[in-house]
Amino acid sequence: MWRNTPTRFGLLTRALHWTMALLIFALLALGTTLANIQPGLANLWLYGLHKTLGFIALSLCLIRLIWHFYSPPPPPIGPARALTNRLARATHTAIYLLLLALPLSGWVASAASGLDVVIFGHITLPAIAPVSAAWEDTGFALHGLLTKALMALLVAHIAGATLRGLKHDGTLRRMIHGSTSTD
Amino acid sequence: MRALILMLALASPATTATATPTSYALQPALSSVGFETDFGPDLITGRMPVTRADLTLDFANVSASHVAVTLNVQGAEASFPFAAQAMKGPKVLDSVDYPEIRFESTAVHKSGDGATVEGRVTIRGVTHNMVMQAAFWRQKGHEAGDLSHLTIRLTGAVNRSDFGATGWADMVGDQVRLDILARIERTN
Repeated sequence: MWRNTPTRFGLLTRALHWTMALLIFALLALGTTLANIQPGLANLWLYGLHKTLGFIALSLCLIRLIWHFYSPPPPPIGPARALTNRLARATHTAIYLLLLALPLSGWVASAASGLDVVIFGHITLPAIAPVSAAWEDTGFALHGLLTKALMALLVAHIAGATLRGLKHDGTLRRMIHGSTSTD
Repeated sequence: MRALILMLALASPATTATATPTSYALQPALSSVGFETDFGPDLITGRMPVTRADLTLDFANVSASHVAVTLNVQGAEASFPFAAQAMKGPKVLDSVDYPEIRFESTAVHKSGDGATVEGRVTIRGVTHNMVMQAAFWRQKGHEAGDLSHLTIRLTGAVNRSDFGATGWADMVGDQVRLDILARIERTN
């Protein structure tokens, strides 16, 4: 039930997938909002919320990667060498890399600003970068760039999953219910 | 603070008793340096302790008055924690390399009911001219004409960018308004 098999996603993988999906969309919406509002006392807490959710997303991504090391997920449905499956694997790999790099770039940039990086309102994360304008500017520029890249990849990921869903090949059903309709 | 001294010159009944330059010492526990700046639609407010204040007031000759004040940047507090950390950090006051702010008057003029204090302020190692308006009062519990204990209020503003304190310019205003309330006691 919890573990993945060669043909189905286990409950833990599916729970992580959909939890992270919600979290990432919330983070993208929140981050985009923060980039376009005038900071003030009334919305200062949103910056802390963004950091907290980002740290949770990073943690879940690491947990998911470790879990998949012990319980490998099933390969894409269909021939492994099919173009769509190769694209799917490349997209998944890129999304994982971005889910690691994106929060780390935000963490680096925030630490480089000289301010404590505080999550959950009172936990101060270690400063993982020197206090430096160059590190801060580069970190935030990278954070913005990686965000756009992630948005593009998520559009591709969702479009691919939707197409497979319309074809009823079992891919979408497998991530929702664990197994394909033919299992 | 010197400006406060000038105001004393206006108190004619009292000046007869102190017609020569008089030294005053700061009463730190009763004094504070307040500041505020814009933060979006809100204000960041805070306080900075006074490390040292040397005051010489001449009520007969206001222009002979002199004020020198040193503030402790590392002891500064702000209305919310991030503001204090940002203010003391390298992007603004850089309190590690520049732990003090200094002001020294260069001229004091009578101005209406108060005084105008011209001086030089040093922030982050950069020195610029600064003008402050001063008002003074006799402290509670002291009779008219008793200038042994005074309260001085100095107000003025600086543009932090003039001193290289440019951090978070997109979020925090450039002008920092100062409101210094100093209570002083005569030492000679």
